Amino acid sequence: MNAHSIIGKDIPRTDGRAKATGQAIYADDIKLPGMLYGKLLRSPLPHARIVSIDTSQAAAMPGVRCVITGQDIPRVTYGNWRLFPGTQDEYALAMDKVRFIGDEVAAVAAVDRETAEAAIEQIIVEYEELPGVFDVVSSLAKGAPVVHDTSPTNISIDRKIAYGDIEAGFAASDYVREDTFTVHAVSHAYMEPCACVAQSDLDGRITLWTSTQTPYIVQCLLASTLNMRENDIRVIKPAVGGGFGGKMELRPWEFCSAFMARETGRPVKFTLTREEELAFGRRRHPMTIRSKVGFKNDGTLVAKDLHIYLDGGAYNAMGPTATFLSGNFGAMLYRYPNYRYLGEHVYTNKPPASAMRGFGAPQTLFAAETQMNMAAEELGIDPIQIRLKNAMVSGDELPGVATISSCGFVESLKEVRRISGWSRKRKNLKTGRGVGIGCYSFISGGVFNWFNTQYPFSAAEVRAFDDGTVHLLTMASDIGQGSDTVLKQILAETLGLKMEDIRLTAADTAMTPQADLGTWGSRVTLMAGNAVIDAAKKIKERLAGAVSARFNLNVIFDIEFADGRVYAAGKPDRGMTFGEAVAFVQKTQRGEPLLARGSYTPRGKGLVSPAFSFGAQVAEVAVDTDTGQIQVEKMWTAHDCGKVLNPMAVEGQLEGSVQMGLGYALTEQFVMDGGKTLNTTFLDYKMPNAADMPPGESVCIDTFEPEGPMGAKEAGEGLASPTAPAIAEAVFHATGYRCKDLPITPEKVLKGLGKL
Amino acid sequence: MPVAQFDYIAPTTVHEAVAALVKGGRDTRVMAGGTDLIVKIRHRMLFPKCIVNLKRIAGLDAITVDKKNGLAIGATTLLADVANHKGICRHYPTVAEAAGATANVQVRNMGTVVGNLCNASPSADNAPTLMAMAATMDIAGPTGSRSVLLDQFFQGPGISALQVGEIVTAVRVPPPVAGSGTAYHSLSQRGKLDCSAVGVGTMVVLNGDRCTDARIIVGACAPVPMRTQAAEKMLIGKKMTDTLIRQAAQKASEETSPITDVRASAPYRWKMVSVLTIRALTDARKMALRKQ
Repeated sequence: MNAHSIIGKDIPRTDGRAKATGQAIYADDIKLPGMLYGKLLRSPLPHARIVSIDTSQAAAMPGVRCVITGQDIPRVTYGNWRLFPGTQDEYALAMDKVRFIGDEVAAVAAVDRETAEAAIEQIIVEYEELPGVFDVVSSLAKGAPVVHDTSPTNISIDRKIAYGDIEAGFAASDYVREDTFTVHAVSHAYMEPCACVAQSDLDGRITLWTSTQTPYIVQCLLASTLNMRENDIRVIKPAVGGGFGGKMELRPWEFCSAFMARETGRPVKFTLTREEELAFGRRRHPMTIRSKVGFKNDGTLVAKDLHIYLDGGAYNAMGPTATFLSGNFGAMLYRYPNYRYLGEHVYTNKPPASAMRGFGAPQTLFAAETQMNMAAEELGIDPIQIRLKNAMVSGDELPGVATISSCGFVESLKEVRRISGWSRKRKNLKTGRGVGIGCYSFISGGVFNWFNTQYPFSAAEVRAFDDGTVHLLTMASDIGQGSDTVLKQILAETLGLKMEDIRLTAADTAMTPQADLGTWGSRVTLMAGNAVIDAAKKIKERLAGAVSARFNLNVIFDIEFADGRVYAAGKPDRGMTFGEAVAFVQKTQRGEPLLARGSYTPRGKGLVSPAFSFGAQVAEVAVDTDTGQIQVEKMWTAHDCGKVLNPMAVEGQLEGSVQMGLGYALTEQFVMDGGKTLNTTFLDYKMPNAADMPPGESVCIDTFEPEGPMGAKEAGEGLASPTAPAIAEAVFHATGYRCKDLPITPEKVLKGLGKL
Repeated sequence: MPVAQFDYIAPTTVHEAVAALVKGGRDTRVMAGGTDLIVKIRHRMLFPKCIVNLKRIAGLDAITVDKKNGLAIGATTLLADVANHKGICRHYPTVAEAAGATANVQVRNMGTVVGNLCNASPSADNAPTLMAMAATMDIAGPTGSRSVLLDQFFQGPGISALQVGEIVTAVRVPPPVAGSGTAYHSLSQRGKLDCSAVGVGTMVVLNGDRCTDARIIVGACAPVPMRTQAAEKMLIGKKMTDTLIRQAAQKASEETSPITDVRASAPYRWKMVSVLTIRALTDARKMALRKQ
């Protein structure tokens, strides 16, 4: 195989400079002539029937151009699980009922933001307050208030997995333990709050610029909720300041801006505030996880029985997928010959939980990895040793669910043990200091087609020009993770061109090829990368033919693409520049340009994902046993993300994951009073910042994923999982306090030590 | 929800500033760094009709360190400048440490020590140490100047002793007594860059190993930064042993009345007052012994 010239190199982000210098255009930067400013009126109550809404005073205010409520819009529900319409439980504006504090009730468009904000306060809503449910226990209680009439038990969806013989497995176990873990909600806290601008053209077609991870999903759901045709909606993704799963659905402001743009004939912009995001925005699912595991005395896993309640909040959002995936994450990392899972998604009167970096894995793996550490402790086996004994390897199968085509987990465990000095540190640390381990496995995109797309999962179009450049068109959405850069790298490498030879147009549903399910589940590099390679291969075939014809080459010759040239392998003089070859092809087709389409849809890859990544992380902590404060001193990571396409990008993902994992483990949480979120600013929502970051060291395990583009797989999402269990174990090692309910606050530590 | 509209004036003398405040009454607010004021306006917690910026007043950002008269920090002196001032670091190290422990780099580069005090937050990081060192506030007003002990300055959350038309021109700290030591310990949820959930400032004066004076001020555990006088009395006149420090810290904790809020629970705060008081008294004793 040829050495790569661009793949595997530290290629700086192609949008880095524009973002650092403020030139990148985000949705809120867009200003169109005559543009109106929108504002949402939200429910102040967690659960109430809407008796009446009087918008007359607001509508009469000078500068107000449009006021809408649920009564003005089509009565069409939406939701991402289009394959199962019964799960689509949201209206863009509340119809009869509000179900959480922040539920969108009405919208105003006015000539400026101040007028819109003032008008919102003039809308009079009469509510009949209903009793609410604010946690899983009260939601499932007999006679509990029903959040949605369609789900009288408040369980909106469940998912079961079972293989082997669970009862026989436990009967054959020497050591069985059962634990219940609880994990909490946290915010995506993306830097850019949600924003969008919609414009309606003279034919009534809509163009929507929106801060989204999923332009195609927004296009389709906007069409159905507006009773329009999909092709009459154009969704464009400008620069996006992060998503982490929080921007992957159609959202009310997107609908309202489009609807009001059509009503008024003027563009309408919505920009959410940070307070709206924190108080009412999507969040990670809180879960109650009951896990029973059986081992042999030597540490061999025999059986696992897992039950999870997901606290879904007021609507399904991406909860069904989290319910689905949690069962798979529970079965990952180790070989469980006998496994059973039941996941139940429960409605409560709180802001809906949804997808968030890890999609069920941070919660499930906190429980699984903590329980593994507890078992290791009781069985008297080193935590890394017990993992090595049970670790998945390449070729392992989850019956009927997935096959692990590449797996560097054993290598990750051994490497992290080495670089962290684990064996020495586990024995010799002072009181108050400890090391702990946590591991992860994650998907590289989902297989299950819940959106019911009629298109390939990812697509790419490559247009080649006789000046030696190419234009890549793809609906893949760079939301800050760096996929634009990586897709350019893949294309440049495949065609033997340089980064600057590639022009990229991405994420415009009217211009880029149908379709792409968006950025979530770590699918973009693998799926869009494969689509790009597919298109590039077709271009190469044509160019190879041109060179072959021009030099009358024997058909057995390989054609090389390197350094901007196309030539016979081993005979560089028998060839031409890339541009000349394009011109040649173009001549042969009488001026028709050279372009090709490529696509990728996972087939024959089970139900979950075409590829899985693995990794292990060790944390060292210092615990102040008088105050309970935890200082993470260092993090060591060894992970298998297949072939590393861009080391710099992988490192960035790792550091971002540690920052998020740190917050999840220690400081971030929503302080709730019933359905009300009390900490709605970054002063009191404690996200770790730069000064809180521990130093780190990492190793990438060199594997090759056959299903991945050039051997690559997921690199940035799974790493959100191991940090919390690693820190929890390190705290246990340091103090003897075992945390089973995140976050690990100083108060919990002191209580655990009997000092409070 | 109309965005705040207000007049803005930037006088060049204290006299002009006072005149503007007298004229505007309670709807006129003083601004130095603006790091509290502007946030409150944007969050619709304040609706001033006029803002008087003090930053154009020459000399108001001065720091003077004088053997005889002590330390004076002007109304517009930045937190960062106090934290990094050589003379303060040398002679009033805890004052510099508390300024350096306030909020984050950006806030310290805009915000002021006097502003942090005038905001009258019970969790103001600079209050405990300055109160422990018997600081006073220089106040200019329509009827002339007066001086108020910082101890008397805080009257409730967000409420200070300032009358309409008055501004603080400086905070003054008397020169450290021979044999004195100071320390400030604070705790927050997040770590390094955060507002404090508990803070304790102390000053002790030692004669040999006997304590002749002590002040313990606790932040964020009462409506104002509060002196724990019963705890102080336990120390004065006695040999300052570890056991006595622990007992005094326990007493200090009993004197406070913390609440449960989004930053910490009351029981945790109580416990932390005791832990931080032990640490602050131990450190202050160490400094006092070193200086003897």
